[in-house]
Amino acid sequence: MSTLTAQEHYLSSFSQLEAKLPGQDAAWLKSLRLQALEQFKQAGFPTDKLESWKYTNLSLNLLKEFFTFEVLASTTVVAAQLKKNGFDTDKAHLVVFVNGKFSKELSSLKPLEKGMTVQNLASVLSNETVKAFIGKIALSQNKAFTALNTAFFTDGLFVQLEAGKVLDAPVHAVYVSTNGSQTTQSHLRNLLVLANDSKVNVIEHYWGENVSAYLTNVVTEVAMATGSTLDHLKIGQEDIKGYHIGSLIAQQEEGSYFASRLFSVGGALTRNDIETTLGKKKAECVLEGLYLAKEGQHVDTRTFIDHLSPNCNSTEVFKGVIDDQAVGVFDGRILVRENAQKTDARQSNKNLLLTKEAKIYSKPQFQIYADDVKCSHGSATGQIDEEALFYLQSRGISRDEAKKVLVYAFAGEMVEKVESGYLKPGLKKLVDSWMEVS
Amino acid sequence: MLIIKGLKARVEDKQILNGIDLTINPGEVHAIMGPNGSGKSTLAHVLSGRPGYEITGGEVTLDGKDLLSLSPEDRARAGVFLAFQYPVEIPGVNNTYFLKAALNAIRKSKGEEELDAIDFLELVKAKLKPLKMDELMLQRAVNEGFSGGEKKKNEILQMAVLEPKLGILDETDSGLDIDALKVVADGVNALRGKNRSFLVVTHYQRLLDYIVPDQVHVLAGGKIIKTGGKELALELEEKGYGWLTGEKVKA
Repeated sequence: MSTLTAQEHYLSSFSQLEAKLPGQDAAWLKSLRLQALEQFKQAGFPTDKLESWKYTNLSLNLLKEFFTFEVLASTTVVAAQLKKNGFDTDKAHLVVFVNGKFSKELSSLKPLEKGMTVQNLASVLSNETVKAFIGKIALSQNKAFTALNTAFFTDGLFVQLEAGKVLDAPVHAVYVSTNGSQTTQSHLRNLLVLANDSKVNVIEHYWGENVSAYLTNVVTEVAMATGSTLDHLKIGQEDIKGYHIGSLIAQQEEGSYFASRLFSVGGALTRNDIETTLGKKKAECVLEGLYLAKEGQHVDTRTFIDHLSPNCNSTEVFKGVIDDQAVGVFDGRILVRENAQKTDARQSNKNLLLTKEAKIYSKPQFQIYADDVKCSHGSATGQIDEEALFYLQSRGISRDEAKKVLVYAFAGEMVEKVESGYLKPGLKKLVDSWMEVS
Repeated sequence: MLIIKGLKARVEDKQILNGIDLTINPGEVHAIMGPNGSGKSTLAHVLSGRPGYEITGGEVTLDGKDLLSLSPEDRARAGVFLAFQYPVEIPGVNNTYFLKAALNAIRKSKGEEELDAIDFLELVKAKLKPLKMDELMLQRAVNEGFSGGEKKKNEILQMAVLEPKLGILDETDSGLDIDALKVVADGVNALRGKNRSFLVVTHYQRLLDYIVPDQVHVLAGGKIIKTGGKELALELEEKGYGWLTGEKVKA
């Protein structure tokens, strides 16, 4: 008797599932899916022999689970829970997906003026813009999870702003995974298209409440035209049984401003790839993130900034707190191409290890081919300062409380950097509650 | 009151305290003087529960409570306060938040109600004035970027807010100019009272012109080798420590 490999499991599932995937009447999408499946077949799942997966061995856990595509319908009271967690969703365009499918009942989409679209992707697959961008920014070649996503995606967020449009209220997309005894998976595809001088604030919020293991595989493609501004924030709050693989890929035109902030606390295994191409002059990006991991969690963050054009700025700050036997990985690559003169690129990665068993692999990489540039990077990993701990204790604060104070002093900086009044209370709670139960 | 009997302590393999006996009654101020390496700061650290010291003998009680078995935070809650020689900088922790957390931890341990932000601010502002401290210091991170004088004033501010039974000043005069020294000493003097005792550890007599002690002890080789009144400090200033440590060798 032969046993299926994980790869064979996905390949054989496709023919059964194909007819149920959205976009049946869009021929371009059908062929895109087939092409991606072929690319997945060629690439296979990444092994730790690949440099970009060196510290994250999927064969130990994720590839042992044969997640099913069939998901039982399930409801959950999303808005009330978000409010309890500090997000005043009345002030946002709330877009909710449950197990990979859009839930109209749980969402609250407010009317928008002409030239702005906030929708679930599955309902706009005949839109020319979708056709023009899907699979064009996040390429599937040699990327197993992107290829799988392209082949299997069921839904996701679609935001489109026409020239000069500014959407003031944030778009808060929530992706809930909820299952019973079955191990489940969802493949989500988000597309954000910003025309000249448009501006929007988008939150991707992944959240699990599960009995069994599950996989969330998400790809977000971002197209930013001249002078556009995107404030993007991703919250990874997957259940401890969840595997999360995410890619956020942006392309920036002249003078555009892209801020990507990542707050990752959940998941058995989390991998985030964040990439942007500063394709035209005077584009700017700010990539920030905080990853918190404990017990047996594994959190891997990989960033890539491609300085393709002159006079572009990038600022990158990532911080991690690793507790118990958890493992963190930060791989930050910055490429400054020959033509990218007057580049200003700064990167910093700081980690706090709370136990002797906790591990971090920090790998800053600069590749600079232009000669008139300002680039700096720093990586530092340390433990809780015993002197500071004693100082706090000597004033009557318990050792446990003192530790929390010092962890928050380290991690809280990333929360403080977020200017949005909509997000701050919720992010503070997120970090606080992580410390409460650790 | 504080009673120290036969206290011995070491760091790694090095024996530093060799049997200290000392009793401080409520309301008294005792000064500990001595040459470098005599064990003055070790005594202050051991009393406050700083990690890294091994107690090899003796006992310490505060109002009958065994201090040596308590964690540093429980000692603070029992009424011990150590003003650090080198106050620690804690980036990212706001001074007000820190002080309020400390005060409320101590109040809670006594079964008292915790103070809210408004009551706390009122209390702390009243304590700032005599120390000639700027209210802006409350907004800054604990000791971060503070000058030497500001750090020491911040220690005294904490003591004023926490109102301990026993204040231990570990070389609080080090690194202070004369004006800052006066302010700090005034701050300490304002806290003197019949139910509060002080142990003032210092290398120089100068501080004792401003914080006048009831008793002066000379520590050398991990033992108290001489005890006297405030005039002993003046004698030490004049003659140095040599005549005492020499005396000890002869005996």
